[in-house]
Amino acid sequence: MNDDPILLVEDNPDDVIFTLRAFRKNNIGNDIIVATDGEQGRQLLLPDDDTAPIRPALILLDVKLPKIDGLQLLRLIRADPRTQLLPVVVLTTSNEERDIVASYRLGANSFVRKPVVFGEFLNAANVLGMYWLLVNEPSPPWHGPHRP
Amino acid sequence: MTSGAPTGVARHPDPDPAVGVSRDDLMALLDHTSAVIYMRDLRGRYLLVNRQYERLFDVRREAIVGMTDHDLFPAEIADAFLANDRQAAASGGPVQMEERAPGDDGEHTYITVKFPLIDTTGEPYAVCGISTDITARTRAEEEVRRLNSELEERVRQRTAELEAATRELDAFAYSVSHDLRAPLRSLNGFSELLQEDYQDALDEQARDYLRRIQTNASRMAQMIDDLLDLSRASRTELHREPTDLTTLAHDVIGDLRVAEPDRQVQVSIAEALTESGDPHLVRLILQNLLGNAWKFTANRPDARIDFAAAHDGGTQVFVVRDNGAGFDMRFADKLFDAFQRLHTATQFDGSGIGLAIVQRIVNRHGGGIWAHSEPDHGAQFSFTLAPPHPAADQP
Repeated sequence: MNDDPILLVEDNPDDVIFTLRAFRKNNIGNDIIVATDGEQGRQLLLPDDDTAPIRPALILLDVKLPKIDGLQLLRLIRADPRTQLLPVVVLTTSNEERDIVASYRLGANSFVRKPVVFGEFLNAANVLGMYWLLVNEPSPPWHGPHRP
Repeated sequence: MTSGAPTGVARHPDPDPAVGVSRDDLMALLDHTSAVIYMRDLRGRYLLVNRQYERLFDVRREAIVGMTDHDLFPAEIADAFLANDRQAAASGGPVQMEERAPGDDGEHTYITVKFPLIDTTGEPYAVCGISTDITARTRAEEEVRRLNSELEERVRQRTAELEAATRELDAFAYSVSHDLRAPLRSLNGFSELLQEDYQDALDEQARDYLRRIQTNASRMAQMIDDLLDLSRASRTELHREPTDLTTLAHDVIGDLRVAEPDRQVQVSIAEALTESGDPHLVRLILQNLLGNAWKFTANRPDARIDFAAAHDGGTQVFVVRDNGAGFDMRFADKLFDAFQRLHTATQFDGSGIGLAIVQRIVNRHGGGIWAHSEPDHGAQFSFTLAPPHPAADQP
């Protein structure tokens, strides 16, 4: 099991509680780092100071976020070779076609709509955790540009 | 020069074709046309005018001979007439032009033919003019132009308003889909957490209350989704393509069976039903109609749903039939209105938006939908995805 942390970019504190609870309940023991807006998420992944960047096993990304929104952050993640290959699951309230299309176009690995019914939310979190932390084979970490 | 009635006719009861007609006869001819006819020499002096000219400009022909247009009209107009006369004289043959002259009710427009009279040396010595009043036509044309541009302006305005309204609706729907569901998730989630974490502190009644909160939060989430479907059915662009309704129907029934694996429903779907339509929207139609049939047959041990097509003239009519609870036709006019329900929530769950969505989609395809039912004897919904075939109206 991949035991790198999970990065949850989510501004709704209730959804943070539910997500943490769902992972605990499903025995997913990875550390969960929470960024409450897109800018915090960017700072953790691609810091513009000397802070050590985090390399999560999975990024759970809300779409509607203060400062930098989820889709903008996804664009930044995919544009930088250091974060380009990290798995990103867009986890959001919306099922608007434009959000789904934009997410995939920007390189999201998956798009999941947060269910209203808590039991279904637990189930979705379990499936996500199982798949991305256990079943899926991640890309090896990036070690700088290859030199010929 | 004579004026008045064609008195010549009385003097020549039997004109001789060999002799020809007299000057009076010709004058009579000129006097009985609605065109304005006149003859001027090259200096613009009147030689002859017909009766219509006299009537129109209120002058006697005896008085006008020898006068010029500068004696009769404002200088600007007289100059224009003279210039046109000279153009005709110079051209050597008939020329056609539009002229304007003052009238009782404002300026009148004439279509005028002018031609020179040529003497034996080949030189022009006078110009004849025949002017037809086209004011009524011109004014009508101007009116049409004005109305057209007014109409265009109004269409532009309405289009802009409609576009603004659609944009607003779009923004509203987008914000609804993002913002209104989140609080429901909190209601539902925390009710669940209360039940789990405070199990010992809650009695059966408290747990029942929490379950009611959850049920209603879920219902509201479903209503929001249905409302969004309704708004999507109106605002998304229609992309018509050959659509396979048989496959779509099998998909929809498959989903229903997965959601309720314990239900025993006998489903019959006709083969090879195709029609031009937007596949996403047509799927929504089938989801709602087959979903309704599925829902309202819940109390039947022998539940049955049929999906088939019939031909009415050149139009294909699709029919979804079930043997479920049905409804009273007295309330059929409410069927397709949003939020109207013919059953209570405890009988059958639902938001009352499904058939409104179906009707909107069908309308956007130019088709129609109608229903027939009897309580406890099932329901039948028929819809088309195209306007009625013209041939269908023929006997």
